[in-house]
Amino acid sequence: MISFNNVNKTYPGGFLALKKVNFSLQAGEMAFLTGHSGAGKSTLLKLISMMEKPSSGSIKVNHTELAKIKYRQIPYVRRGIGMIFQNHNLLKDRSIFENVALPLIIEGVSHKEIRKRVETALDKVHLSAKLKCYPHMLSGGEQQRVGIARAIVNKPPILLADEPTGNLDPKLSLDIISLFEEFNASGVTVLIATHDLGLIARMKYRTLTLRDGTMINDGIVDGLSTNNTQTFGVTYE
Amino acid sequence: MSNSLHSSGLAQRDNLIRRLLTLPIRHLQQAVGSLGGLWRTPFTSVMTVFVLGISLALPATLHLFVKNAQQVSEQWDSASQITLFLKLSTNKKSAQNLVKRISLYTEVDEVHYISAEQALKEFKLLSGFGQSLEYLDKNPLPATLLVTPTKRFSQAQAANELLAKLKKEREVEQGKLDLEWLTRLEAIAQLIENIVIGVALLLCLSVVLIVGNTIRLAILNQKDAIAIMKLVGATDSFIQRPFLYSGMWYGIFGGILSWLAVTLLALYLTGAISQLTDLYQSNFKLQGLAISEVLLLISFAVLLGLAGSYMSVRKHIRTIEPNAD
Repeated sequence: MISFNNVNKTYPGGFLALKKVNFSLQAGEMAFLTGHSGAGKSTLLKLISMMEKPSSGSIKVNHTELAKIKYRQIPYVRRGIGMIFQNHNLLKDRSIFENVALPLIIEGVSHKEIRKRVETALDKVHLSAKLKCYPHMLSGGEQQRVGIARAIVNKPPILLADEPTGNLDPKLSLDIISLFEEFNASGVTVLIATHDLGLIARMKYRTLTLRDGTMINDGIVDGLSTNNTQTFGVTYE
Repeated sequence: MSNSLHSSGLAQRDNLIRRLLTLPIRHLQQAVGSLGGLWRTPFTSVMTVFVLGISLALPATLHLFVKNAQQVSEQWDSASQITLFLKLSTNKKSAQNLVKRISLYTEVDEVHYISAEQALKEFKLLSGFGQSLEYLDKNPLPATLLVTPTKRFSQAQAANELLAKLKKEREVEQGKLDLEWLTRLEAIAQLIENIVIGVALLLCLSVVLIVGNTIRLAILNQKDAIAIMKLVGATDSFIQRPFLYSGMWYGIFGGILSWLAVTLLALYLTGAISQLTDLYQSNFKLQGLAISEVLLLISFAVLLGLAGSYMSVRKHIRTIEPNAD
């Protein structure tokens, strides 16, 4: 579903964000992406969602070679990827319903269908009651769940999450992650970037670890063994 | 993208038909939605609409001026009369004959015959030479024909051609068309019209730039929302549509406002003008904008609004790129 082949990314000014990154995620796989701040997690997600272009190497998402995608086709690639952000990225002047409906409105889905699918999506994140609320009326965890509902409402085959549990307490974080597990169980490919190592440890999923732009680990991380936590040193408070 | 890959061709066709059906509704919704957007920023919207309305009111007023001036000069067209002086040798009978022939011209509306005696009588009366003219042993004045061309041949060029034709009649000694003032009037009218066009072009350009700038600010205000929409897969044309509709609304409201302004101005001037025309015993009436002209004004305003917003949208929407931070 997602594959990186010798991907380098240099930002203007010469900062080397990713160095020769190779990995691939199969359809229906769920994995964590981890590493300290500035290790290249965000860059990697941005490359998948075409917010940035790789300096070299090739990226395949959803059976599509991204290098071949022209500017006008980018939206259609993004429709196949549900994205979730730490800061939720909700439209503040629109209701929860309208926020979740956005991807469907963009795709030109009929009104009846939109209502049905938005209700289903909000039901999945247990927010059916907040349909008419506005983002500022919800708590951080609830807003995060609205973001998740929006990401899954058009049933994309891929879910990307950038620090989805960043501002949440451990209990809420676990709730969010179990939501991802649910989607994964229905066949969605899930990639979650996080530096919450405790969370990863409890999950025992495949973990991709970046350090200074290099992929240093790819496999199951046992967070309780000191071996891997040392990799990040004091970065984790 | 992959969803559509998996679905069958039949489903895709159904999809397409459904999309075509919902497209007008979608556009209508976005049009109304962008109207709501203008409502949410009343101050900016009202300012822009006023600038538009006033900018367009100026050329519209000038147009009204030219239109009414034309009406006035049409009334003067009767003054483009051709005077034909007949040869002294022409007797009364052949003069009458000539009158008949000339009145058969399709270019001619009316011919008025002034005999040599009549001319002398009038001359005595008006010149003040009175008695002294009695000493003349012979009437020195020729018989005269006053030829009024039809409306179509009253314009300088056509009247001149008619004069040339009339001069060829053998009884005619000399012909005169008081053309100079007519050509001058026409030249002045032409100049005013050119000024109107020039000023109108400048004002239209400023309208486009003003709408462009307003839309630019609206786009920058919505920067975050646009980035989010791009993230969830909105195409540029989807994002730019509400802004184009805003441009359209600015045009509609600006056009209506300029129409109101011109109408009010005309009403205000009507009193003063009727006083003036009464003094000249003219039947001149100030004409307002016709419905077709109002519609033209509004659609032109819409066109300018769209042009301005299109300019901004093309330039700015593409440059807004989402970033996850």
